[in-house]
Amino acid sequence: MADRAPLLRTGVLLPFFFLIVTTVYLAAAFDIHSQFAGDGEMSPRSVPILTAILMYAALAVVFVAEFRKPTADGPARELLRPLLVIVATAGYIALFRPLGYWLATLAFTSALFAIFHFQLRKPHMFAIYAIGVTALFYGLFAGIFGVRLPTLTGGFF
Amino acid sequence: MDIFIDVLGGMSALADPYVIAFMVGGFLIGTFFGAMPGLTSVLAIALLLPITYTIDVVPALVMCASIFMAGMYSGSITATTINIPGAPSSMMTAVEGNVLMKKGFGANALGHAALGSMIGGAIGAVLLMAFMPIAAEISLLIRTPGKFSLVLFALVVIVIVDKGNIAKGFVATLLGVMIATVGIDVLQPIPRFDFGTETLVEGIDIMPLVIGAFAISEVLMQSESWKNSLSSTLEKAKDLKIRRRDFLPPRSEIREIGLLAYLRSAFIGYGIGILPGAGGSMAAFVSYAMARSSSKKPQEYGNGSREGIAAAEAANNSMCGGAFVPMLMFGIPGDPTTAIVLGVLVINGLQPGPRLLENQAELLGPMLGSLFFSALVLIPLTLWLFGPWFIKIVSIPKGLLYTGIAVVALVGSYVATYSVFQMSLAVIFGVLAYFMRKQNYSTVSMLLGFILGPDLEEYLRRSLSLSDGNPIVFLTNLDSLFFLALTALFVWAILIRKPKRGLAEMRSDL
Repeated sequence: MADRAPLLRTGVLLPFFFLIVTTVYLAAAFDIHSQFAGDGEMSPRSVPILTAILMYAALAVVFVAEFRKPTADGPARELLRPLLVIVATAGYIALFRPLGYWLATLAFTSALFAIFHFQLRKPHMFAIYAIGVTALFYGLFAGIFGVRLPTLTGGFF
Repeated sequence: MDIFIDVLGGMSALADPYVIAFMVGGFLIGTFFGAMPGLTSVLAIALLLPITYTIDVVPALVMCASIFMAGMYSGSITATTINIPGAPSSMMTAVEGNVLMKKGFGANALGHAALGSMIGGAIGAVLLMAFMPIAAEISLLIRTPGKFSLVLFALVVIVIVDKGNIAKGFVATLLGVMIATVGIDVLQPIPRFDFGTETLVEGIDIMPLVIGAFAISEVLMQSESWKNSLSSTLEKAKDLKIRRRDFLPPRSEIREIGLLAYLRSAFIGYGIGILPGAGGSMAAFVSYAMARSSSKKPQEYGNGSREGIAAAEAANNSMCGGAFVPMLMFGIPGDPTTAIVLGVLVINGLQPGPRLLENQAELLGPMLGSLFFSALVLIPLTLWLFGPWFIKIVSIPKGLLYTGIAVVALVGSYVATYSVFQMSLAVIFGVLAYFMRKQNYSTVSMLLGFILGPDLEEYLRRSLSLSDGNPIVFLTNLDSLFFLALTALFVWAILIRKPKRGLAEMRSDL
């Protein structure tokens, strides 16, 4: 008999996440009240409830298929780098307004270059490219499209 | 006929240098994204979506159309030169084009791909303009229950097209529908799923979803396999000598393929483009299979058939024209690119439908003209000007490329509404889409569920309200019955009926 796949893997965890989201969604759907819909009529909560029920059915099929899988997910791929990208992105969003476009983008660009191992052995090229990318997109957004980007001095406010 | 004349009149906007700049710029961006393995024209349009907030609707639509056409064509560049299709729709071109490349006829193969794309794209655009008024008349006949069944048909087809992942496709579509229900109800002024926050009362905008699902998730996917696996292939290909004069296919070869073959492929592509969820890959595959089955030289297929390249490329570019029909007439996008173009229309306060063509022909005309002009002029011109350097262009280091994409995606999601919340939403959707893609959940289905969900809900509730809650209205209404029967037919054709042996074998060969 073939080995069953372990329970804690993305193939199972992701639909499990959807299951939780659907349950929260369904609970919130029951909280929607309308004064305009009569008994038996479709109200603003009808379609969300129907959607949640269909989602449960679809997820049940996905779970059955996942548990029937004889082998686990394919070879484990590196998750560290995507995680680092997510952290860098979260930091960028947090610092975007306080630091302004220039500093925040320069830091974000440098972080991504490091994650992608771009020009790590040539610090001067690393710096030139980081400044170049930051300047290029400043030119695109602020220069060509006239968008106001936040600045360190708070000019935005 | 009046509408047709109005659309032609609207094309005069293409004479404006400002609009031309967006068309040419869009085409070059689309060519780059289409040619680059891993990047697609969908990503290009997704990245440029926030910019459409800051420019007029005409240049925005013109740019989207030219990116769409360029992306379909340029997938053939790396498909031919390094056997890696820049876009999935160029898979069949890779089968034939790379063999020709290895035989020393790479430039000739690129020339045939460009010619096929040019003819197919131009015919698709002409068919779109010619049939739009008829489609508009037909769409006026469809009543509310029929509209519900039509949207249902689109959603069902989008899910079942990916035969191996129907349950996951269904989950992704429903997730999109769920996201779309956040905010004010479609019929009543009642907020839903705002969880006590003001920002969610306004609902979730299409822009962070598009940026997250297509741009941020791509950066995360690429960071996983950050070492450039193509670098050695590209290094070898860099040494290839491609001369401009070799791009021109000899007349004898064009005659051998025949005008009829180009026309047939263009019509197939256009027809498939109209179907929701089918897209360029299916257009290219079906056209290629038909060309092979009716070819005088079937033995050439798989060994560098120019006819095969022409059939695949004419069809996938003609698909661009077809895909706009359901989007413009019914608000039902046939593929992710038109889904984002629909977003551009909605952002600018334009509601798809027959009235849009009647009342806003001056806005749509330039976009349709851009499709035609991009196919007929920009495809051959780009090949001529940049053809010899295509390989060098796509050799940009991954670190630089994806860092640039990440900055454009995030700053773009900020500038659309000057909101850090939108940036955060884009990242949340990006992380979600990343895990979904890893587990083969279609992010395109999620997007289409998000776009079509509110329409589905509105038409369902309106229909039931008009019939005192009696669901039989969907069967007694002839237009609704037609679309329900069509849905059943597609379910039978795609899921139940066994495919013809030849086609099945060809698919398994790939």
